[in-house]
Order: sequence, then structure tokens, then C-alpha cells
Amino acid sequence: MITVEEARRKPEPSPDADSAALWKGLREGRLLLQHCGRCGHVQYYQQAFCRNCGSAELTHRAASGQGTVHSFSVVHRAPGPAFKDDVPYAVLLVELDEGPRMISTYTGGPADEVTFDMRVALICEPISDTISLPRFRKA
Amino acid sequence: MAASPAAPRHRNTLRGQAAIIGIGLSPVGKVPGQSPLALTATAAQYALADAGLTKADIDGVLSSHAMASPFHRFSVAFSEYFGLQPTFSNTLQVSGATAATMFNIAAAAIHGGLAETILIAAGDSLLTGMTPELALRSLTESRDQQYEMPFGIPVANTFAMTAHRHMREFGTTPEQLAQVAVSQRHHASRMPGAQQTSPITVDDVLASKMVTTPYHKLDCSLISDGGAAFVLTSAERAKALGVRKPIYILGGGECYTHEHIFLMPSLTVTGAVESSRRAYAMAGYWAKDMQVAGVYDCFTGTVIMMLEDLGFCPKGEGGRFVADGQMTYGGQIPSNTHGGLLSFAHSGIPGSLFHFHEVVAQLRGDCGERQVAGAELGLVHSLGAGFATNATTILGTENTL
Repeated sequence: MITVEEARRKPEPSPDADSAALWKGLREGRLLLQHCGRCGHVQYYQQAFCRNCGSAELTHRAASGQGTVHSFSVVHRAPGPAFKDDVPYAVLLVELDEGPRMISTYTGGPADEVTFDMRVALICEPISDTISLPRFRKA
Repeated sequence: MAASPAAPRHRNTLRGQAAIIGIGLSPVGKVPGQSPLALTATAAQYALADAGLTKADIDGVLSSHAMASPFHRFSVAFSEYFGLQPTFSNTLQVSGATAATMFNIAAAAIHGGLAETILIAAGDSLLTGMTPELALRSLTESRDQQYEMPFGIPVANTFAMTAHRHMREFGTTPEQLAQVAVSQRHHASRMPGAQQTSPITVDDVLASKMVTTPYHKLDCSLISDGGAAFVLTSAERAKALGVRKPIYILGGGECYTHEHIFLMPSLTVTGAVESSRRAYAMAGYWAKDMQVAGVYDCFTGTVIMMLEDLGFCPKGEGGRFVADGQMTYGGQIPSNTHGGLLSFAHSGIPGSLFHFHEVVAQLRGDCGERQVAGAELGLVHSLGAGFATNATTILGTENTL
């Protein structure tokens, strides 16, 4: 069970052994995807093995940062005190041009301008000395 | 009159091997001053009394985690609290799907000889045991800390995005979503002890505050206190005990398609297709044979999608099916006749146990003015974590064996 104090802070990702390269890349302004050398599968997020064929032969390549909104939901009631000042904000399920989908939030405009299949582009937004969040604006 | 089993029985499955012989509910809704363990123990006392047994008859305990309780091994803590030393026990955790897995696993454990008489018991106090914000935040904590939580994604949001996409693909409307809440509120109005019983209209749902599009407040399930418990034993022992109306577990199925919502294979077709297919195949009955259902209803759109994936109507037709009155009395599959998580109570992971309580009561013919006439075959589908987890259980009376 978390404390009231903890609930007031926005959760900040803690990179682990699988994801260190991803968060380092985002800090440098690039969204790295893993490409499998054996089967060609492209995956987000990063891990030690290809989720399709199990190969460890994975290379990191920067995504184009272009994608479309597969689905979205505009949050009016924040999930706890940390996000209260942000509402309304649009949570996006973005389908990257390389194939993988990811969760993000919309930035650079009002939440109500988001539509299905809208083209969006990556923005790496610093939130601390070490972490940048991958967010998306209208392309 | 129930249908006859359509498929050859598989000799080694759990079909018909275990029976539910006792059911119990704690008070639900706003129940101040009762810990999750106390709520669970209250329900367990009722379930044992209903079965005509004492705790000395119990050798197995299955439970689920309670958010408002500090215990990491809730089933073990509960056993101590209740004065039991079981020789089979576990605290299961696959979010909202846990309830159906408890029945599937209990039946398998009885069939496999790990236990003879199992107490399934769980409770939580999300309404008065925690502040509402902490309760919500705890639900958010169940999302991934690196790829989902930093974006402020409430658990509601994962379900909202699936319903939103369903609207986009199939033309499902906000009014059709709202009809689920309206039907279930009507059901709850006839359920003693339900948390919300005042009638509502489609307009009321649409006029309630937006939570996360497309869901308004009244499209969302409640936050509640409450517990439920069940006694299961082998079919042989149920017979030897002369139980009035044992309800048999005829089939169980599960399916886990992803952990992160962004890796859900399709936002509009879920693992419920496979979990129910497996449960139906084991039971030898199909969707068309079911006479009553408990369909997990954390949100209104969830029910519409499940009515499709459980086979009650074609994909994409769920909205029209509900608007046409098919999920209530006189329709094809009366569902959540107790009011469900939307109107009866939703105390977190134990919430789907209330669906089991209702479907068992229906199959026993004990539902009074809520009774679905002649119901002998029923289904409960539990799910959780943005459709990551799905579990289905098929239940039936002695006539359906």
C-alpha cells in the first residue's frame, strides 16, 4: 500500500537491465526499437529476447517517430492527486510506422483535437536529469 | 429445461467432478469498521452455514489479495484469522479474472486429490478501508511503472481505449453503453443489500461527469467494501452429504493475451473468445445453451464486448444486442441479475465473486423476484487488467451433468 505522500508524486520510470538503452536513447532524443536479426520482428519495449522467435540477436535502431492514433481516451478524472492539474489530457495508443504500438500522451494542443487515425510525431520531453518521456504532437 | 450435453465428455477433465454446496455474502457497499479479513470471515461463516458444515470440514482455502489489507499471503492470514490449518491453499492474482480461476483451480484441486472440501473466500474494503484517491491510485499502480504509469493512465483508461475503438470500428454508441448501466441498475433494484438501487435512465448516464472518454461516471463500476465465500467439494461428497441443490462446475477456461495494453493483439477481440471456447468445449454446452450469466462489468463497454466474445451475439453487434433488451429478463441471456459491479458492489478483486454468488443462486432457484425461470445452465466470465486476463466457468444443476 502506498502512502499519501507518494500518491502526490508523478511516477517516474526506473530503468532496469532490460530497458536501460531505451531510456538512454530517449534522453538523447531517440526512440529506440529492437530489430530481431533472426526473424525481422520489431519490438517495443526492450528486453533480452525477441518476443516472436526467442533470439537474443537484437539490434537497437531509432524509430522514425511517426505514427497514427490507433485509439485514445481523454482523462477528465485524474488517477490520483499527481495528475490532477493535467486534466483534461489525452492518453494515446500510438501505432508507430515501424509496427509496434505504445502508450503515450498528447502534447502541443488541446486534448479534444485528437481523433482516430490522426498522424502524430514524437517529442522527447525531459522530466528529470535522467528521464525523458516519449510524447506525441500533431504531425 | 436445460439442453443436453452436445459434445463427448473428456474423461480426464474436471467436468462435473466438483460442486458448490455453500454460498455466502458479507454486507456490501459502505461497510465501515470491517477489515478485509472480517468481511471475508463473515462471508465464510454464511457459506459454511449454508453448506451445513463446520470449519473442521474444510481442508483447502483459496483467496485473492486485498488492497486494504497488509497481508501478502491473504489466504494464509485468513486461515489463521478463521482458525483453520488447511493442507491446500493459495492467494491467486490475475486481477479481475481471479474469481473464475478460483473456481477452476478449486475444481481441479478436488479432482486431482489435493483437497476434498475447499473454502473460496475473499473480501476487501476499498470504500472505507482506504481513501478513494488511494484506492484509485492503487489501481493505477497495477499498470507498468515504465511504459504506462508515467503517462497518468488510470486502469479505466485501458478499458476506455478498447471501448472507444469498438465504437470506431462497429458504430457502438454512447447510448448503447449507457443501456448496460440502466439495465443493471434495474436488476439491482430487486437485489437486497445492493449498493445502488435508484433507477437511472440513459440520459442520466450521459449527463453524469465524464471520467475518461467514452466513459461517464455511471459507465464505471462502483468502489465498495464486501466479501464473498463458497464451499466446494467433490461430487461424491456432495451426494453423501445430501446437499439440497449442488451446483456443478462443468467447464473452465482461461486465456492471457498480453500484459501491456499496447501489446493487446486486437483492441476489440479479447482472450474471452478462447477462454469461453475452452470452457464450453469442456462442458459440452455452448453460448446458446446458457440461461443466465455473470459477465464482468468493470465498465459498460466491457459488457458489450464480452457478450460478443462469449458468443451471445456476433462481433460488433453487442451494442444493438443490449439496446434490444437481450441482456435482461425476457432477452437471450439475462446477465448480472444482481446488478453487477456497476450497481451491486465492486470491492476490487473479490468483486467478480458476487457474479458467482448470483449465478449459483439463480441455478438453485433461490432468487425470488429476480429469478430467471427454470435456469439450469449458467456462465460466469471474469476478466481484468485491460483484458489481459480472462477466465470463464460454466455451472450447471444435477440435470445438466
